[in-house]
Amino acid sequence: MKNTRRDIFKFAGGAAAGALLTPVPWRLIKDSSLWSENWPGIPRPARGEIRSKTTNCALCPAGCPLRARCVGDQPVALTGAGCAFGVAAHHLPYHPARLRQGPVEQAKAALAKRTPSEPIAVLDLNPGRTASWTFRRAMAALDGTYISPDPNPIAYDLHSVRTVLSVGAPLLEGWGTPANVLAAREKFYLVHAGAVETPTAMLADEWIRAEGLPDPLPRRLLENGPSLAVGDAPGVAELNRKLGAPVYARPEAPVPDAWKKQAAPVTALDAVPARGLRFLLIDESSAVTYIPWHLIEPKLASDAVVITFAVSRGGYARHATYALPAPVFPEITEDIPAAIDQTTQVFRLAAPLVPPPPAVVNASELVAALADIPAAAALRERADFIHMQSPAHPTPDAFWQALVDGYIWRGSPSLPAQSSPTQPRPAHDLPLTAVPAPWTPALLSPLMTKLYEESNLRLPPNAVALNPRDAAALPSRAVLQTLHGKCTVRVVPDASVPPGIVLAGSSPGIRDICTHGDGAKVVLA
Amino acid sequence: MKLRGTILFLAGALAALGAGWLGFPRVIYRTQAQPVDFSHKIHAEKAGSKCDDCHAFRADGSFAGVPTLDKCSSCHAAAMGDTAAEKRFIEQYVTPQREPAWLVYARQPENVYFSHATHVKRANLKCERCHGDQGSAAAPRILVENRISGYSLDLLSMDACIACHREQHKENSCLDCHK
Repeated sequence: MKNTRRDIFKFAGGAAAGALLTPVPWRLIKDSSLWSENWPGIPRPARGEIRSKTTNCALCPAGCPLRARCVGDQPVALTGAGCAFGVAAHHLPYHPARLRQGPVEQAKAALAKRTPSEPIAVLDLNPGRTASWTFRRAMAALDGTYISPDPNPIAYDLHSVRTVLSVGAPLLEGWGTPANVLAAREKFYLVHAGAVETPTAMLADEWIRAEGLPDPLPRRLLENGPSLAVGDAPGVAELNRKLGAPVYARPEAPVPDAWKKQAAPVTALDAVPARGLRFLLIDESSAVTYIPWHLIEPKLASDAVVITFAVSRGGYARHATYALPAPVFPEITEDIPAAIDQTTQVFRLAAPLVPPPPAVVNASELVAALADIPAAAALRERADFIHMQSPAHPTPDAFWQALVDGYIWRGSPSLPAQSSPTQPRPAHDLPLTAVPAPWTPALLSPLMTKLYEESNLRLPPNAVALNPRDAAALPSRAVLQTLHGKCTVRVVPDASVPPGIVLAGSSPGIRDICTHGDGAKVVLA
Repeated sequence: MKLRGTILFLAGALAALGAGWLGFPRVIYRTQAQPVDFSHKIHAEKAGSKCDDCHAFRADGSFAGVPTLDKCSSCHAAAMGDTAAEKRFIEQYVTPQREPAWLVYARQPENVYFSHATHVKRANLKCERCHGDQGSAAAPRILVENRISGYSLDLLSMDACIACHREQHKENSCLDCHK
């Protein structure tokens, strides 16, 4: 009998009906949906033993103790940080803007061609570390200059005062060690002077809505002593001297005597002769401050070679001859200098949680190699010296292990400071006063960028906020102009910004041309 | 003619049923043997080992899961018996310090959070409640893995979790397990 097409359809119809009574269709639907959970590109959580490691955050001198939750060797969460940046610090090694490769060999070749008579300097943007002492020793050996943003850093004792005047300082939002500031806050009356409505202004007992040192001074400051003024505004240092405020030299953990004998002095950038540097090495890998480029550029010779150790292209890499990739927290063992509110010596380490990429360069080791001085074990040498001075642990090895595990060594109190008066600002006819956003690390976790900037909780880096009256005639894009240069910015009208003030974001371009209190104007692009 | 059509329809249905119930499972699942011929029975009977001697909780309360080679090496640095399986284990793993790639029967999807500590320490569940008689088996079971989803056939399903929780009057919200 011949099979017809109708027979085939009947057989297929029976097979389809029969298939519905088997697990085939239902299993395929379920398994396909499970398979789609593991689609390529979907992040797969790390697998492994859950462990905790303790360390200290090296993103700023507050050095918050951290507990890292690790799956295997991979940190997946940090707890203990006093700020949002620290909470997401373990994201930084994987930041898309991370500098991972650079012309290391070319930079070394350029340095090798240097003759002893050519001036060389290191600009250290996080002074007080063991690496800083390596730079100083190397510069002494090379007859070079060690430049620090602040040669005489000071520290304030918030616990011994009853009244604090904050002159534009972000006292309650990352200025010092969060736990220490909050503990002291219960005991003092806070007067905040600043034009912009900041968290410190909101949490202060009294807010004077004006820039600079208030005139007249708040009565409470004079009558409810001991009192203290904090901030970078002109006149603050002189006021503290008059008040007899508890201002100390920023304490530094002990260093071996041999280092002190062989170290170059700390020099301010102002003291470097104009066009006097042929080679400038900038360590911005763990920078806690930023010097605008318009202050650095006049110190460079016309054929100067600038080498920067950077974690992103956002800082001095834009101006440098060679930008070398540097390790980022938490990739190497480094020590953390004292914060502005710490008046006793401290020595603590940030231990690595992940290995650095193979191409990164440790600034202190490269500079030490130039001067042919041993630096690889400098941290351990300093720790052994501190242990010898005050043995808190039975052996140097035990002390070192405790430091690696997050132990904080505390030494003797600091001495009163001999701070220099702040320089008056140059005269200008610019109608606005610049108030830059607080300093932030060079790299922020993309998560923080999302939370802060896209949700408008924080001013975007390339934006300026103006009172609607000042912004009335301006389009959405304009040019911010100061005595030091121009920068294209986005204009955000904000009624919380008082007239006459320009609140500036923290983009590298803005930071290069404006510091707190500078005269500024915003004009059409 | 009508009968012929019915027969063809039934033949098609029977062919699909046969293929679906008998052939399909063989196609969709693949089997994998454990790398070591490990006998829970010998360890339980001869060495007197309990489950938590090897599958221990760490000091912080987290579950260590499958023991690492260090644990095995502490007893099997040298052969304790004369079985070929032990000899092969020492030659292939203990001597070269190579971690065996154990297959896990109950590995949950990435979006599931399961705490052994909660179930064993707080709810006092026996290991057998979920893992069956694995602890007394003379040879390791063959892992049956779904070719499409990649999950084990022995994976405890969410239905089983819900049924047990309902039985114990411990019904929870989605976020208790799905973090």
